[in-house]
Amino acid sequence: MSQAFDKLLDARGLNCPMPLVNARKEIGKLELGQVLKVMATDRGSIADFQGWAKVAKNMQLVAQETESTEGANVYVHYVKRTA
Amino acid sequence: MQGVLLSCEYGVTVAERPKDKDEVWAARDLLARLETREKFFVLDVRNREDFKKFRLEGRIPVPAVNVPYFEMLELGGKDEMLDSVVAYVKRDLAEKLPSDLPILAVCAKGDTSEFVAQALRRSGYASANLKGGMKAWGEYYASRAVVEGPDLSIYQVSRPARGCLSYIVASAGKAIVIDPLRHLHPYLDLAGGSGLTIESVIDTHGHADHISGGPALAARTGASYYLHPYDAIHPMDVLPATIPYEFIREGQTFPAGRHVLQALHIPGHTLGMVALRLDDNYLFTGDSIFIRSIARPDLGGKAETWAPLHARSLWKLLGLPGGMTVLPGHFSSLDEADETGRFAASLDDLKQRNDGLAVLQRESLEGFVRYLLESLPKFIPEYVEIKRVNAGLLKPEEDEAATLELGKNVCALSQGYVASGGGRQ
Repeated sequence: MSQAFDKLLDARGLNCPMPLVNARKEIGKLELGQVLKVMATDRGSIADFQGWAKVAKNMQLVAQETESTEGANVYVHYVKRTA
Repeated sequence: MQGVLLSCEYGVTVAERPKDKDEVWAARDLLARLETREKFFVLDVRNREDFKKFRLEGRIPVPAVNVPYFEMLELGGKDEMLDSVVAYVKRDLAEKLPSDLPILAVCAKGDTSEFVAQALRRSGYASANLKGGMKAWGEYYASRAVVEGPDLSIYQVSRPARGCLSYIVASAGKAIVIDPLRHLHPYLDLAGGSGLTIESVIDTHGHADHISGGPALAARTGASYYLHPYDAIHPMDVLPATIPYEFIREGQTFPAGRHVLQALHIPGHTLGMVALRLDDNYLFTGDSIFIRSIARPDLGGKAETWAPLHARSLWKLLGLPGGMTVLPGHFSSLDEADETGRFAASLDDLKQRNDGLAVLQRESLEGFVRYLLESLPKFIPEYVEIKRVNAGLLKPEEDEAATLELGKNVCALSQGYVASGGGRQ
């Protein structure tokens, strides 16, 4: 059930706020309508990406998933550039 | 200010002292400031739900403003966190921040708030970062001796952010631990440092607000774990506990050196609630009598049925020698501590100033039961789950356990009840 995306940002192992800060920079580099996949290991990123999507004017949170690989959770966020 | 704390304190972040104490506060520095009523301002950058659930509270109110960091980043409009926060503070926050108080930057784990503290200093404010964030504060333990001597020592081990209290009773090289909390290091370190052998671990009841460290501490030390059998049945699931435990009986005694700890069955908060009296001197009340309030009777889902039991049990405790020192299982505010930071008061003193005991002594049984039922705080759904964990019916991972325990306990009745009018202020 994986979501389509145009670019991957691997933010695994990075502490808050870097997954979100880096994702925000990458979105600026996308074409309109393109999707960025962000992989993070910080559990707090789930609520934070949701909160961010409410205030950001140029993006939309398309989907969120939790993947479990080798016993460790990876939190995946799909973010689309909209403006 | 630091002199208030005894040397025996335990936190998860004990490793090193910060280079500049004014710019980085460890949990213990924060506690010292909260206890001495030092004035400071909090800029909390967690999301709004987490801020609502769990925030810093002191002996006096701690003024705070909550702006999630992702809002500062987005609205500040710069690429880098630091630049964005500087821009946001200048444009949107200047009016809300005091210029005459230090500002403590707070986030979930202490990394994001470090950017915020730096940005505040760059903007001309005196600012510090809470090291390890609310996670470190929530998992911080402090310990104080209630009495300490060759014959008898009692240590009050607290988790200040949650308002949870536990105890080590030590005599003749042996220790009994009462109501140990989820992290075992405070008990193991204190016992190890004082050359104590932990012989018994007693839970005064099946806890709802926090995960007991009792079974794990007993397994780790080879001690016996005791619980009243009524609390070894989950009250909603009506399923028996799967943890190993030994029954506590009414009147059962536990030797503590030359002293004797005796169990008193006092159903009300739970059906298997016990108080523990140490001779005629100390009374570990668990969740029955706290310093300012009394325990709620509804966490088993049977408030109407249990409220009269609660009344009878409280009268049983009030019949004990009035000079006994009450050592409760919780506090709701740091301000319930005496000036030495200990949560302790004589039974006679509490008869005069405890809100719930005042109503108990003044009202009829019916009036008191009505007071109980009208003073119930909101029911916390997590508490049903936590009781499952404590019965061994659920085994959460570490992060799930931390989430279940997030925030301050709500085991006491609501404050501010007007007894004669039967309503709330």
